[in-house]
Amino acid sequence: MSIVLKLWSAYVRATKRWPIIATIVPFIPVVALWSIVANSGMFPRAFFPAPADVARTFVALTYKGILPDYLQDSLVRLLTGAAIGVALGIPLGLLIGSSKWAHRVCWPVLLFFQAIGDIAWLPILLIWFGFGLTTMTFVIVYTVLFPIVLNTVLGVESVHRDLARAAQSLGASRMRVLWEVTLPGALPNIITGLRNGLGYGWRALIAVEIIVGTSGIGFMMFDARRAGSTVEIILGMIVLGILWYIVDAWILAPIERATGRRWGLVTS
Amino acid sequence: MKTLSLRNLQKTYFDPYAGSQVTAVHDVSLDVEEGEFVSVVGPSGCGKTTILNMVAGFIPYSGGEILLDGAAVKGPGPDRGVVFQSFALFPWKTVLDNVGFGPKMRGVPKAERDRIAREYLELAGLSHAADRYPNELSGGMQQRVGVVRALANNPAVLLMDEPFASVDAQTRMTLQEELTRIWQERRPTVIFITHDVAEAVFLANRVVVLSKGRVLDQIRVDLPRPRVWDHLMQDETFKRLSAQVLQMVRSA
Repeated sequence: MSIVLKLWSAYVRATKRWPIIATIVPFIPVVALWSIVANSGMFPRAFFPAPADVARTFVALTYKGILPDYLQDSLVRLLTGAAIGVALGIPLGLLIGSSKWAHRVCWPVLLFFQAIGDIAWLPILLIWFGFGLTTMTFVIVYTVLFPIVLNTVLGVESVHRDLARAAQSLGASRMRVLWEVTLPGALPNIITGLRNGLGYGWRALIAVEIIVGTSGIGFMMFDARRAGSTVEIILGMIVLGILWYIVDAWILAPIERATGRRWGLVTS
Repeated sequence: MKTLSLRNLQKTYFDPYAGSQVTAVHDVSLDVEEGEFVSVVGPSGCGKTTILNMVAGFIPYSGGEILLDGAAVKGPGPDRGVVFQSFALFPWKTVLDNVGFGPKMRGVPKAERDRIAREYLELAGLSHAADRYPNELSGGMQQRVGVVRALANNPAVLLMDEPFASVDAQTRMTLQEELTRIWQERRPTVIFITHDVAEAVFLANRVVVLSKGRVLDQIRVDLPRPRVWDHLMQDETFKRLSAQVLQMVRSA
């Protein structure tokens, strides 16, 4: 009994010191199960590769430079789309959130276009822009835009009216109120929107790369299907999962928590 | 010399659901002298907060005039400092930056506005809290910041809208005593909205009783200062004036 408790105590202390352990440990049984099934001979190896095969392919593709190149292509596309989405989404959200009339006019339209999923745009985009970067960027921007706009509006509306009034009574102009009150007040929501938007955008990007891509992780996976290489497909899936986990859990979530908590806007 | 003057002030709303006009303030005339502390008291729905919001410029008025040093009031401005019931401190700014916000809007350089802010924080006994964020402070401390933030901007009038209504009873008494002390030191012109009769009498030079959008009556309060609850609670004049005001409010 005490040996179990000692191990548990060691684990808790280790995760406290190196939080990454808490992330990795739960995957040990998953990988183990995968390994057992793959090595049991239940399925042909080419059909259902083992973790070791995937790891070997990972090393080989990284060494050849294919994986890093594709990864970079995907990330650059996502960041370009996200940057445009932020540049359009935040001002639009501020406008809709702070004007009753803009809200009345834009809100139903916004919800209508949000309902048309990103991929549903592809047929018409392919006719308009063809198989290329424009189509891809359009879809990413489209996907990233809505969560940012909707959350920015939510954020602006959550700022207490008295804060804007206080600023005005202290001599702030409308622009200063926007900059000093509305924007910081809405910031935690904006970051939540950005986090959701990037998550959706990442998924949309892979889908688009599968259909129109000439490079990128999505393209790699679909290209591997043509060659019947299950190893590369599974590798692509794992890369997607790991990369998003890193971006979300290590970068976006801490920023979101930091802004909200410090200002006492989020009770946690 | 009168600073603020309300003449036949009127406020009507259009209620889109009822499809008719609703009158919140019928006809209010009131002069406030420079350096005077005026409490406005009345039952809820008497229009006292509406009047304050019009003077602050947060909502437009439908009739009459509001004159500040002879000029008509239009929209919010730094000449009318406001202290809110909700405190309305900027949660993302430190206490120091909250108090320095008014000077910042006037374009005062950082070093100078920090000096001003520290001076006012000292006035409120808050020097130790300068670098903290509002959510780290108790309600009473937050409202002390709210008061000196408005004062640090040197407004011609200080408008206070039930500022102590959301703090506990003990803290409220301390804040009231501190406010009278600060008023004596700085002599700002104050309009103080409250529904608490004892508070109105304790703080003011003059109590205005409001009812159904009209001024019902006014009473001068010539109690000596500094005012301290331990003394005033036993004071016959204070008791008599409070009873008088209470009767007016209840008959309103």
